[in-house]
Amino acid sequence: MVGRFRWAAMFPDEVWEHVFSFLTSDADRNAAALVCRNWNRIERRSRKRVFVGNCYSVAPTVAVRLFPEVRAAVIKGKPHFADFNLVPSDWGGGAEAWVEAMAEGWPNLEELRFKRMVVSDDCLDLIARSFKNFKVLSLVSCDGFSTSGLAAIAANCRNLRELNLRESEVEETCLNWISHFPESCTSLVALDIACLEGEVNASILERLISRCSNIMTLRLNHSVPLERLVGLLQRAPQLMDLGTGKFSARHNPQLFSRLESAIAGCKNLRNLSGFWEPGLTYLPAVYSICEGLTSLNLNYATIQNPELVKLISRCKNLRRLLVMDLIEDSGLVAVASSCKLLQELRVFPSDPYDAAEPVSLTEQGLVAVSAGCPMLHSVLYFCRQMTNAALLTVAKNRPNLTCFRLCIIEPRTPDYVTQEPLDTGFSAIVESCKDLRRLSVSGLLTDLVFKSIGASANYLEMLSIAFAGDGDMGLHYILSGCKNLRKLEIRDCPFGDKPLLQNASKLETMRSLWMSSCSVTLGACRQLARAMPRLNVEVINESGRGPLVAQPDNCPVEKLYIYRTIAGPRTDTPQCVWTI
Amino acid sequence: MELELGLSLPSSDMMMEKRIKTNFCKKRSFDEVLDEKTVTLPLFLQREEDGHGNSDSELNYGGGRVIVGWPPVKLPRRRTNCVKVNMEGIAIGRKVDLSLHDSYQALFRTLYMMFPKKHEDLTYAHVRRTEEEDGGCDYKVTYEDEDGDWMLVGDVPWEAFIMSAKRLRIIN
Repeated sequence: MVGRFRWAAMFPDEVWEHVFSFLTSDADRNAAALVCRNWNRIERRSRKRVFVGNCYSVAPTVAVRLFPEVRAAVIKGKPHFADFNLVPSDWGGGAEAWVEAMAEGWPNLEELRFKRMVVSDDCLDLIARSFKNFKVLSLVSCDGFSTSGLAAIAANCRNLRELNLRESEVEETCLNWISHFPESCTSLVALDIACLEGEVNASILERLISRCSNIMTLRLNHSVPLERLVGLLQRAPQLMDLGTGKFSARHNPQLFSRLESAIAGCKNLRNLSGFWEPGLTYLPAVYSICEGLTSLNLNYATIQNPELVKLISRCKNLRRLLVMDLIEDSGLVAVASSCKLLQELRVFPSDPYDAAEPVSLTEQGLVAVSAGCPMLHSVLYFCRQMTNAALLTVAKNRPNLTCFRLCIIEPRTPDYVTQEPLDTGFSAIVESCKDLRRLSVSGLLTDLVFKSIGASANYLEMLSIAFAGDGDMGLHYILSGCKNLRKLEIRDCPFGDKPLLQNASKLETMRSLWMSSCSVTLGACRQLARAMPRLNVEVINESGRGPLVAQPDNCPVEKLYIYRTIAGPRTDTPQCVWTI
Repeated sequence: MELELGLSLPSSDMMMEKRIKTNFCKKRSFDEVLDEKTVTLPLFLQREEDGHGNSDSELNYGGGRVIVGWPPVKLPRRRTNCVKVNMEGIAIGRKVDLSLHDSYQALFRTLYMMFPKKHEDLTYAHVRRTEEEDGGCDYKVTYEDEDGDWMLVGDVPWEAFIMSAKRLRIIN
């Protein structure tokens, strides 16, 4: 240690541990760990929370050994594009190695969060048996397990507080898995089973909810009818986060008033979602709690205007809104004037594949919200037309944007007024929004936009590009700029070998790079892999042309996934994946 | 809607009048249905020989442009999605689990294995399979969608197809 700070070396480790306990962010703890050997040792031995953004970046046994006191772990697996079927289903991301290592080395583990991992029932069984004080299981966008695995969790995790299955794919093998929660289970605080396809026994659920007096989050699946929702709400009036089941029933005034009063009784309700198959007659039943809502997710709700706008306009305190494009421009104008506290907006396409019957949602809606909502910082917007002028306006209105994801549904769509590329529009966004962390571009774009992004997007961490650019320079601008880039995902762009090889060292500063249907050759991958031993260069070729080892250098690569790792090449690659 | 089977090659101005259905589709009114013009299904289902080297992600099975994984929306996938498959002229049908396949290519591979061409032995079926992977085949597969209409397999994105297909029928 530096002379002036010798006094610090006199402190016992426990003091430093206590000091470090006030560092809540991983980045801060990482920084502390780099100060000196002592701090490195003390910090990692006292670290309670670990985040592994790529499950293959480090061997599970190594991670467990380095951080022996971990109580909460987050592990992420498949690349983001797996959500859109671009990654072969057997690519990897299996959780076994992690769960086995954790069962061995982290017996006191309390929280486990997996995202885009393949988690088997055996894994769930092992989790259920290995961690005596297990409290939180979160499986987001995961698959590979069934309700039998969930039954094991329910039965054995005595102190389970949270079970979250958001957007996972679950096989229905055990019909009454909910009944496996013992009568003694009273600890549940959050239960998200919205993704389940099958029937959930509402009576058993009701009994479970009754005895869990601390339940705050309850997200049901579509199988729970409105009649049963009433009973659940009556037993859990303290709910803060509700995902309804099916939101329609035959016209029944009695049911309506029972529902209305049950909902009104939930005075703490802040998050509302669900609304499967919504019936217009029952929507007004939620009006009483609208003003208290901070988050509203109508992503699956096929409600149209005017009922949709009537509902949302009542939510004056909304921070977060997820809605389908059925809201249309007129609805977004209403949002802009009603929801002044809005921070995050996501607009999804109701009919993503049908161009013949467009809904009246255009760039106008986006502009309206950007003007009317001063705290808006996160946008995801699917639409069918855009102009540079609109993007310039959005950039001027909202320099505080941190996330801007625009998806113009038809690839390579130009500015519909001028027929020009949307380069100027997106350039304005990156130049104005200095804190932009996430960006997705779309529409007709040349290399010019990438020049702007590379030069201006200094805090950009994640960039998604599709059907854009003219050639190698586009990718070169990104890789040679964007100082804080962590994740880059590209599909169907004319980017080739040169920018990859020229910016090889950049790739080690990033978490991962995905490129599919671009112009990369096998030869470049081989060169890259040779030059960069701490990168895994995975080539995915599904058309079965024979082993890649035998292919010539000029063989085109269909899909490429490059990520930094200290674990070396992985051993669980399927047939279609080759680590070069 | 009237369906006519005519002798015509797939072309880009022949559009399937049917809407691509997803979970969120609006039902058409009765009048719209009655107004439909007749549609000619191509007799030949051929992978369009694309001179200008279409990228791998654009599959042209019947005339429409279909891009894998675009737009980037997460569609809830159906699990254990078993549908019956019947081939014209064969009494006994089979069942195929659509959820075990991730593309039309994979599905057709399974179908060829289940229903190899009549009077061919297994070795020949194997040879044909490699040919088929390159694109030329004369399997015409149709499917019944959630509205009871019969559509040509391959026109809609895979994700939309597996959500709406109720059963398959292979026509010789």
